[in-house]
Amino acid sequence: MDDSDEALMARIARGDEQAFRLLARRHLPAMVGLARRVLGNAAEAEDVAQEAMLRVWTHAPRWQPLAALRTWLTRVVVNLCLDRKRRAQWVDLEAAGEIVDPSPSAGERAESDERERLLAAAIGKLPERQRAAIVLTYSEGMSNAQVAEALDTSVSAVETLLVRAKQNLRRALSGVIDEGE
Amino acid sequence: MTLDELQILLDSHGADPAQWPAALRVAALSLIAADTEARAAHEATRRLDAALAHYAKVTSDDETAAARVLTRLAAPLPRQDRAWWRWPLVLLDWQFAPAWPRVAALACCAAIGFMVGIAGLDRPFEGAGITAAGRGDIASVVFEPEAISGARP
Repeated sequence: MDDSDEALMARIARGDEQAFRLLARRHLPAMVGLARRVLGNAAEAEDVAQEAMLRVWTHAPRWQPLAALRTWLTRVVVNLCLDRKRRAQWVDLEAAGEIVDPSPSAGERAESDERERLLAAAIGKLPERQRAAIVLTYSEGMSNAQVAEALDTSVSAVETLLVRAKQNLRRALSGVIDEGE
Repeated sequence: MTLDELQILLDSHGADPAQWPAALRVAALSLIAADTEARAAHEATRRLDAALAHYAKVTSDDETAAARVLTRLAAPLPRQDRAWWRWPLVLLDWQFAPAWPRVAALACCAAIGFMVGIAGLDRPFEGAGITAAGRGDIASVVFEPEAISGARP
């Protein structure tokens, strides 16, 4: 049986819950990770991923395969994250201390990897659209054109976001990345 | 290409020359080959790219969180949105396997309809509905003189 995203979406459009759970299992880890990196909050990231998958279910009968499902889903997740960021003020990571993560191993790993913690903190301080551009480029492996589609903007705007984001990261991490290798 | 232009290229497209626009690739590679600062900038971008890629990859935490979300999705799912103009399409969403009995039934219906139409079984018998008045010549009613006065219309 064809279990491509498009075939599963066709089954979901007919109300097939098993196809929905198969699709969710396939995309949820990446979508939760994407939301966590954009939001900087693991619990909220789970809520966003759940909401995004429920949108897949409810909108499936109206879904048109104009773009890859993954691109559409990424766009939904990023928009939900940016909406949340607009509603709630970003908690300054230095003021908040360690990044809170419910999983038991996360704290230990963050302590053992100071460089990664600093990088996460620096990314956390980026303006939200710069952060979204960075996360989409490096976690989803998207081209600038795909990032532009996900953020509903132009390719040149994405390039500007990336340039500014990396300038900010270089300033925040001066010496850290170079020392790491 | 200047160093600043190279840095913008590196920041917007990353350190991998395969991702650079073809029009800029040769000039950028030439500058990197010729200039120590350019080479250092390229190397720094490569390290930053590697760190960002490592930061952004899916972790076991993400897998655990995804499993939690999947458990939450086990609850009864909400009603799906269906556009009103798509409702008629539901009627067309037939499963045509095996199709031949349905096609045969449709062909039989069409053949019976054709035979009924040819034989005229759908029309009433012509003689039954005609009255005596209907059988008369209409011109004789309109143009004949009146029997008493002899007046013509």
